[in-house]
Amino acid sequence: MNQERRAQWLRGVLDLCVLAMLARRESYGYELSQALEAAGLGPVKGGTLYPVLLRLQRAGLIVAYWREGGAGPARKYYRITGDGHDVLRQAAADWDRFAGGVGAILREVSAR
Amino acid sequence: MKKIIVTADLALREIARRRTVLVVLALLPLAFYLSRRGDHLGQSIRFVCLGLGWALSTAALFAGSAARPIEPRLRLSGYGSRHLVLGRLLALWTVGLVLSLPYYLLILVDRHDVRYGAIAVVMLLTVAVAAPFGLALSAVLPRELEGTLVLLIVVGLQMMTDPATTASRALPFWFSREIGTYAIDHTDSGYLDRGLLHGVAFAVLLTALVTVAASVRLRSRPHLRFNPAP
Amino acid sequence: MNQDAWLAALVGELRRHGVGPDLAGHVVAEAATHLRDSGEPPLSAFGPPGSYARDVADSIGAAAPAPRRQPPGPVRLDVRGISKRYRRHRVLNDVNLTVRAGQIAAVVGANGAGKSTFLRICAGLVSPDRGEVHAYGSLGYCPQDGGTREFLTPDEHFVLIGAGRDMDRAVARRAGRAHAARLDWKPDSGRLAGQLSGGTRQKLNLVMARLGEPDILLLDEPYQGFDRGAYLDFWHEVWRWRDTGTAVVVVTHLLNQLDRVDIVLDLTPDRERA
Repeated sequence: MNQERRAQWLRGVLDLCVLAMLARRESYGYELSQALEAAGLGPVKGGTLYPVLLRLQRAGLIVAYWREGGAGPARKYYRITGDGHDVLRQAAADWDRFAGGVGAILREVSAR
Repeated sequence: MKKIIVTADLALREIARRRTVLVVLALLPLAFYLSRRGDHLGQSIRFVCLGLGWALSTAALFAGSAARPIEPRLRLSGYGSRHLVLGRLLALWTVGLVLSLPYYLLILVDRHDVRYGAIAVVMLLTVAVAAPFGLALSAVLPRELEGTLVLLIVVGLQMMTDPATTASRALPFWFSREIGTYAIDHTDSGYLDRGLLHGVAFAVLLTALVTVAASVRLRSRPHLRFNPAP
Repeated sequence: MNQDAWLAALVGELRRHGVGPDLAGHVVAEAATHLRDSGEPPLSAFGPPGSYARDVADSIGAAAPAPRRQPPGPVRLDVRGISKRYRRHRVLNDVNLTVRAGQIAAVVGANGAGKSTFLRICAGLVSPDRGEVHAYGSLGYCPQDGGTREFLTPDEHFVLIGAGRDMDRAVARRAGRAHAARLDWKPDSGRLAGQLSGGTRQKLNLVMARLGEPDILLLDEPYQGFDRGAYLDFWHEVWRWRDTGTAVVVVTHLLNQLDRVDIVLDLTPDRERA
């Protein structure tokens, strides 16, 4: 995949993907980056991910707290808020419509 | 008083850190002493005193020139010009005493038949005069080279002119020759009295001159008016 | 760049980008955990400390400090009708400037326009031909050069200035070191000023001017020899001084900071401006 294009797409959807993953269960930065990669979004650098987490936190869509790890170091965990759930629901519906449109256009090209 | 002590303390540290300068300063009188050690016993004592005066005046001249750039800022930071002058003088006088002591001991060991008390007086007065003399030169001649040349002339004249002439009394270290004669040649106490008067007068005059020069240079200018913060 | 060096650099860059100490602590700790978990080198995971700090600052909206926080206080420095000529060359012609507590005035102008002369007149080091300067409170002055002593350590400089401002030795040293830390400088107690780099000596110069918290600070291009980080630190310090109610006058020829000052005094002669 063209790396530059991938980065551009990621910029548009990363916050929603992070929000959606936190809607499943609370998590911390490194775990999130691995989960995103496993989901097929490609590697997500810490330098990209943490500013997004800060922005979501500032918007009140997630909250953060430090939790002592059993054996490992303390980690900063993130949890989605009520507002976060609302925004995610709305955005997911918007994305469906948008991606549907993009998909319909691109299908015409690949069908030709 | 605290400001004077801090100025003196830091000025002393600055001088103490210039090792090479200190060594040269310390050896200069020794060179003078040894140069006449062979021929005339008394002459080497006269020379070592002049050497001390020269060394200390030079040190004072350079210390004074080096301090010039920072003095306005210190003045603004709450120092009076008298704090700066007296602090620096105190440091230089201390250096002079430390410098003189080994030479006094040297004369004590090396000489006999001289008035040691009078030699001590010559050295004390030399230190007292040399420090403000160097500072006064640095106040009048801000460039070190010019000051050094003038010092060279003064000390050269001091060595060569006949102390009996009236004109030679205008030289700052005249007292050294006069009291020296009293100490070495056991002349009458008139030499001691004249020398004492001359030395003390020069020490006081030069100190006053340095203080006045500094207070003029660092005067508060009339265009700047300080008002208490509202 | 190894991990510790990168994290240390990040601390400084976050501060320069206006990220508060609490949040900065979280950001650094989180990045450290991430690096440990992932085993990646910091540069590939986060990029250079400066750009990561900028991203962090952008995401929390902390980028540039707000130009004005509180209304300016009472007048601290009032300069009226200053004129000065050197021989037949007119340097300053009827210059006026009023700076209040909590304001920064930038003095700009071409080389030889009399910027330093103006500041020296304000500090009372040079007499003008005409005009008056009224200072309401104490003055601090940072000269362009020659303000430090080659054979004294930074701590001794703090003591020297401190004694003038009636501070004890220990108090002066502590205050000096606290100001130095804000410029990202930890003075080495055995090092003489003559052995410091030009930029560090300039930091010393600046700390000396600030010692004793004067009400009015006159700074004559105090950032010569600063690298980019130190330059940003310098402006952050100036803004902080302003916010604590100091009146700051700073001579500068770098115009890109002018949007962050309150007053600009341009000393470029009229004939050249036209």
